[in-house]
Amino acid sequence: MVVLEVRQQGTALCEGDVEVMTDLVGPVEYGDRLLVHAGVALQRLDA
Amino acid sequence: VRFVDEFRDAELGRVLAAEILGTVEPGRHYKVMEVCGGHTHTIYKYGVDDLLPENVELVHGPGCPVCVIPMGRVDDGIAVARQENVIFTCFGDMMRVPGGSESLLDAKADGADVRMVYSPLDALRIARENPDREVVFFAIGFETTAPSTALTLLRARAEAMPNFFVFCNHVTIVPPLKALLESPDLRLDGFIGPGHVSTVVGARPFEFIPADYGKPVVISGFEPLDLLQSVHAVLRQLGEGRCEVENQYKRVVPYEGNPAALKVLAQVFELRPHFEWRGLGFISHSALKLTDAFADYDAELRYAVPGVRVADPKACQCGEVLKGVIKPWECKVFGTACTPERPIGTCMVSSEGACAAYYNFGRFAREREVV
Repeated sequence: MVVLEVRQQGTALCEGDVEVMTDLVGPVEYGDRLLVHAGVALQRLDA
Repeated sequence: VRFVDEFRDAELGRVLAAEILGTVEPGRHYKVMEVCGGHTHTIYKYGVDDLLPENVELVHGPGCPVCVIPMGRVDDGIAVARQENVIFTCFGDMMRVPGGSESLLDAKADGADVRMVYSPLDALRIARENPDREVVFFAIGFETTAPSTALTLLRARAEAMPNFFVFCNHVTIVPPLKALLESPDLRLDGFIGPGHVSTVVGARPFEFIPADYGKPVVISGFEPLDLLQSVHAVLRQLGEGRCEVENQYKRVVPYEGNPAALKVLAQVFELRPHFEWRGLGFISHSALKLTDAFADYDAELRYAVPGVRVADPKACQCGEVLKGVIKPWECKVFGTACTPERPIGTCMVSSEGACAAYYNFGRFAREREVV
């Protein structure tokens, strides 16, 4: 999923209007691509 | 799309299929288990099995989270959902899994407040929006899904949420693999390792398979070429007399997994002494429960649940399918009494279930073509 908006408390809004917890992959920025499962980002895809 | 299109290239698929054909020994039969339900889905969606030689058999493993939930745990969830003032939340697939007498969807139709959520975070939001109600999340899944539940519980505790609870059914992947390897019913030559679980746990937990059982493991991605490459890698190891853990899914899976995820899992969960798996029976230390530090959020402590073991319907052979002993189409009720619209067994519910994958992509009706 692609990060569209970084929110507070380790969450980001991703494509599809999905709120994703990003605590496990560190700080994210607009445009980052993440492997997301059940609402949590598990890995970065562009690393 | 990057990471997708290049792994669905039909011409490259044919090249890989030819390489696989050149790797196998004529007259030898190979049984390779794909552990993850996501792999099963890809195999039958894209016809990966039709590209393999006749003597290479893919066997479906126990890695579909919905499929392995026993009926008794479904009944326990329904009992909680029927409690007064409870909003019961779960993933969409879980709503249709049959319990002893009904599913969560049936309970919802009968008046229980059962809601589908995308993630436990959605359930926590529902709890915030409904402070006068108690919100319970039916947590299922392997190490891939458990971090989401763990992070949500950490948020719930940080917010001192008094009305959010988790009915924990998270399971771990290594114990059922050990159980399968010890099973006299099944002779396997190698494993396609679970890609998504491995993003969390890494490759190291699978090293016991080559070390103790002498079988190769190749952790695989989920596109058709990922799977063909992984099958090829397993066969190549067998041909060269090697057995080790290979990581085909390096673009996503670090060998050590995700240390931050492992840390939150250790913080929130501990192993249960034993847990019942559909088709596999009770397996020691194969599932997670909340630690004492999170007891206030534990639905099993908050509510009375029946906790009764319920035998599968006699006609249903999900157990044998989950162990790879039979193929979905060999089940007596496959495609007749048991369909995705009216499932009898769990394997026909989830898109990751072997029976649903066969049924939805019409594989059961197709003749196998000789490569």
